[in-house]
Amino acid sequence: MKIKNIILALVISLSVSGFLAAQQDELSPERKQAIDSLALEKVRDLSKYVSIIGNKNTQWSEANRVIDRAEELFMAGAEIGVSSLARPDVLYYNVRAYFERLMRLNYDRVEIEWYKIEYVSDLQRQPDGTYVGVITIFQRFRGYDREGGLVYEDTTKKDITVYVKRKETQIGGRIIGFWDVLLGDIRVKETSR
Amino acid sequence: MAKTTLYCLLAALMILVTSPAKLCAQTRTMGAFELDETELYAMTKQVSQFFSRFNNEEDQFGKKYNPGTKEYRNSQKRKQILPLLFDNENARTTSALRDYFIDDLTKPKSGNYLEFLNGRWYAEVSATFIHEGREVNIILFLMIEKENLGSKWVLTNVYYPAFNKLFPEGELAEREKHFLHPMSHELDFMNIYKAFNEPQVIEYYGRKSFHPDFLSLFFYEIKMGRIKFKSVDQLKFHIYQIESWYFEVAYLNRKGNNSGWLITNLMYMDEKEKNNFIKLYEP
Repeated sequence: MKIKNIILALVISLSVSGFLAAQQDELSPERKQAIDSLALEKVRDLSKYVSIIGNKNTQWSEANRVIDRAEELFMAGAEIGVSSLARPDVLYYNVRAYFERLMRLNYDRVEIEWYKIEYVSDLQRQPDGTYVGVITIFQRFRGYDREGGLVYEDTTKKDITVYVKRKETQIGGRIIGFWDVLLGDIRVKETSR
Repeated sequence: MAKTTLYCLLAALMILVTSPAKLCAQTRTMGAFELDETELYAMTKQVSQFFSRFNNEEDQFGKKYNPGTKEYRNSQKRKQILPLLFDNENARTTSALRDYFIDDLTKPKSGNYLEFLNGRWYAEVSATFIHEGREVNIILFLMIEKENLGSKWVLTNVYYPAFNKLFPEGELAEREKHFLHPMSHELDFMNIYKAFNEPQVIEYYGRKSFHPDFLSLFFYEIKMGRIKFKSVDQLKFHIYQIESWYFEVAYLNRKGNNSGWLITNLMYMDEKEKNNFIKLYEP
């Protein structure tokens, strides 16, 4: 998946001619679309990892390996802020703690499904020139007890910060520019459904 | 499933002819369950999407129009989409005023679109802090400020009743009792102690144009460790960008096709009055 992302990033960067590095003010709609695809790819990876980590059939060692992969998607220091309809206070978790909590949820079986809908915000630049955007996705969670009875369910809206930075790497003596996408803080909010 | 999608697309085409703003039911099967995603498509999911929908810069599925295409900022489409951006369970946003607003917005003139970096829109964050051992509510006002290569949210003011109580307006007659006479300098200001003996009215000894800066007070209390942050409780936005209009946008977390970031208050407001209100956010 990582290799796929690097290739995608390189293809995107190579296909864009006349690149003016980080000094340019506006991203063209075409380039924005290409970056959106890259960011969505990361978010989809994250969704996949969440489903694997939450699945009770996933072995402990495998879940830990996937947590490592999931952590690599994020900027250092990223946090996940969770609230529910019953408890509006936001609880903060670091990325690893959030996944470990997900792994240890006390249900006999869980179902984690993702709605098809994804909304990608405009990208805005922060003072250091890094682009920042937010991708919104929706997750349906169901927890079952040993008898197979549904004991908990919710639909949550996840607003995921995405940082996009222009970087350079050397391949075969040539400097190649690429867009590096990392996930940042996530706000998880239960929806009234 | 493919058949359903085909029907859905056909229905969408029909809807585009009659009412482009409406969404056809977006259902799909997930595990053992059939899920209706229509509500999630209809929801204005981000403030960013509110701006895009307000300006008609994206289709009903959230796909951006390229600037230069006829759909981009199309007035006819805006007329159909704008009503969906109002809280339709609120008398303040469902009256004839809303229709006047939409009429005004869809007239061909510049300045009728929201721009992220154009200023005159403010976030109001209602937050809980701990002050002197008890939980208190403090309102923080923020705005987008351009800096270097981009922009950032910055604090512009706070509203905390305890700060306001420190600086009551006071009766004019009372204010007139407190001053340093104009020849005080000849006496090496030996009478200045009187000002400091009455701390509750110390500001009366300030110049006429003195206005307390509550943000500085707030920063000071935070630095001294007397006010500590606890949580963000609520968020809304005050938008003054559209000429002669003010409106509020808040997140409505509810079922149905009228949810997410919506207009929850609307007022016709001339620019002079607007500037007075803006002083609250940007003193």
